[in-house]
Amino acid sequence: MPEHNVFHRRIEMKRILLAALIALCALAPALAQSAGSAKALKVALILSGPANDQGWNAVALQGLKDAEAKFGIKSAYSENVGIADGEAAFMDYASQGYDLVIGHGFQYGDPAVAVAKKFPKAKFMAIEASSSSANAASYVIGCEQAGYLMGILAASLSKTGTIGFVGGIEQPSIVKIGEAYKLGAKAYNPAIKVLDVYIGSFTDVNLGKEAALALADKGADVLAHSANQAGTGVIKAAEERGLLATGDSWDQSVIAPKTVVCSTVYNVPVLVTIAVDKVRSGSFAGGVFNMGMKEGVVDIAPYHDFEAKIPAKAKAMIADLKKKITAGAFTVPVIAKPTSR
Amino acid sequence: MSSLGELSTFAAASVRMATPLALAGLGEAYSERSGILNIGLESIILSGAFCGFMAANATMSLALGVLAGVAGGLLMSLLHAYLSVSCRADQTIAGLALNFLAAGLTSYAFLLRFGKSTDLPRCPVAPPIAIPVLSDIPLLGPALFDQNAFAYASFATVALSVLVFRRSEWGLSLCAVGESPQAADSVGLSVERTRYAAAAVNGALGGLAGAAITLGSLGFFMENVSSGKGYIALVAVILGRRQPLGVFAAALLLGAADALQFRAQAMGLGIPSQAFIMFPYVATVLVLLFSIGKGSEPAALGKSFDRSRR
Repeated sequence: MPEHNVFHRRIEMKRILLAALIALCALAPALAQSAGSAKALKVALILSGPANDQGWNAVALQGLKDAEAKFGIKSAYSENVGIADGEAAFMDYASQGYDLVIGHGFQYGDPAVAVAKKFPKAKFMAIEASSSSANAASYVIGCEQAGYLMGILAASLSKTGTIGFVGGIEQPSIVKIGEAYKLGAKAYNPAIKVLDVYIGSFTDVNLGKEAALALADKGADVLAHSANQAGTGVIKAAEERGLLATGDSWDQSVIAPKTVVCSTVYNVPVLVTIAVDKVRSGSFAGGVFNMGMKEGVVDIAPYHDFEAKIPAKAKAMIADLKKKITAGAFTVPVIAKPTSR
Repeated sequence: MSSLGELSTFAAASVRMATPLALAGLGEAYSERSGILNIGLESIILSGAFCGFMAANATMSLALGVLAGVAGGLLMSLLHAYLSVSCRADQTIAGLALNFLAAGLTSYAFLLRFGKSTDLPRCPVAPPIAIPVLSDIPLLGPALFDQNAFAYASFATVALSVLVFRRSEWGLSLCAVGESPQAADSVGLSVERTRYAAAAVNGALGGLAGAAITLGSLGFFMENVSSGKGYIALVAVILGRRQPLGVFAAALLLGAADALQFRAQAMGLGIPSQAFIMFPYVATVLVLLFSIGKGSEPAALGKSFDRSRR
């Protein structure tokens, strides 16, 4: 049947065209990547979410770009690397001859140590982790220092006497911020009620928003988050309900200037450049290193439009504690397990 | 806050969270009734969320955003129909491929348009519209009559779909094509045309579901903003056995499970958060467990139709 054959040939043609299109799509990014010089230090960054999350991952990528500009390194990064793929991502970069591979999050600590054993010449670093070996280090950001100050601020602005915290995945690096937030709030107002919820995701923005609305429904009128991309949903929820919020990782005031009072600031670029500088000078060592306000890694953002609306007592308390923490005269406790459960 | 007040906000949150699942699930019910298993539902939602946002961001018009969202959903669904109906590709693989395509394409296009910046590009958000008198009913008033236009659209779609499936000739031919394409073909129904039409309904509703996320809730777009809602909606379709009311009830159940987990966590009961996060999934498994053996899949679901072969 000739008609039959023509029909099948047409289907065949369509399939070939489709295959060619798909192949082209797959090749395009590979072709776009330029080959750098062989001598430059090669640094790779592994991110848990998208690099344009306006938060946790965005600041890390900024750090990589800063180091590139400052030291002329050759850099690469991977986005959306899940917990299960962490080890493979470290392995990939190490076997491609990267000198320093950075995993940006608590969940990359163990994969870094595991891969470090197989590549003794390369250096590995996990931000916010707790594991280390001879050539793998964990750089821990003192996020709890800023979380404590946010708690004071939130307690001073609450009219209902209830404030809320939305965390991403319940893991030590996030819980310590939420717990410090509670301690700070109680230090300002011992009668304050702090509600906390963990949503089990750093990326589901709508879930973050709904979690925040649930806390608002329960009477919380100042909301904090530590949930990266999903946290943007928390700020959105506060804006929609006419409540106040505090940001996380960087000055998130631009997201909602009339809602975001202040933000914690984690100066990850400083951290990344410290690590790159150590690898360059040959002084990189394994271990767990704490870095906070003293090292210029942790700070809080300006109050912007809220300067006049924050009680003077809270402002004075925050300014005083900031000085004490920087000088080492006051230590915010690190609590790794939620106290409410 | 009174316990009635808490129940009322919980019911409202359940409906809010169920809206995208219900819209997308209803669309998929049309597709599956006609014999196309489109697991690319996630790509339809994501494309709808993205296109809706881009248009609303550029024009600041919600109406244009919704139209673009529907168009974005249609694009993905018709691409799936082209692959699976015209090219007779494996429906499951085509659907999976589209999910990856949409995830990559939308985030790439978003970056291309806005770059890697820390500002958040925005679009208007559909406000809740309280229906006078009805919204004052205790408990159910706020849940059913004080929602945004997307939730009302999902209610209307359920009602309309019941009529289409039970009363209309087109609904009948849709099922005929899904049950036995050969028989439908022999009485003069065009299998191809019917399946394309079902895919179009799926695309339009799935696109609307995506728009419900960006234009109905968030007011911004982020990479992979649909975060698995397409897969959850597929569960709603199976739980609801492709019946409009069933799919809607299943979507409500899944939405309620999500809304409940945060409220239960905030009560500070001393239970780990991970246990609450499992809520929606445990609910799904339980319902599936109790409905084993009662499923009524269209006989030709997932099979491509070739007129020249008998």
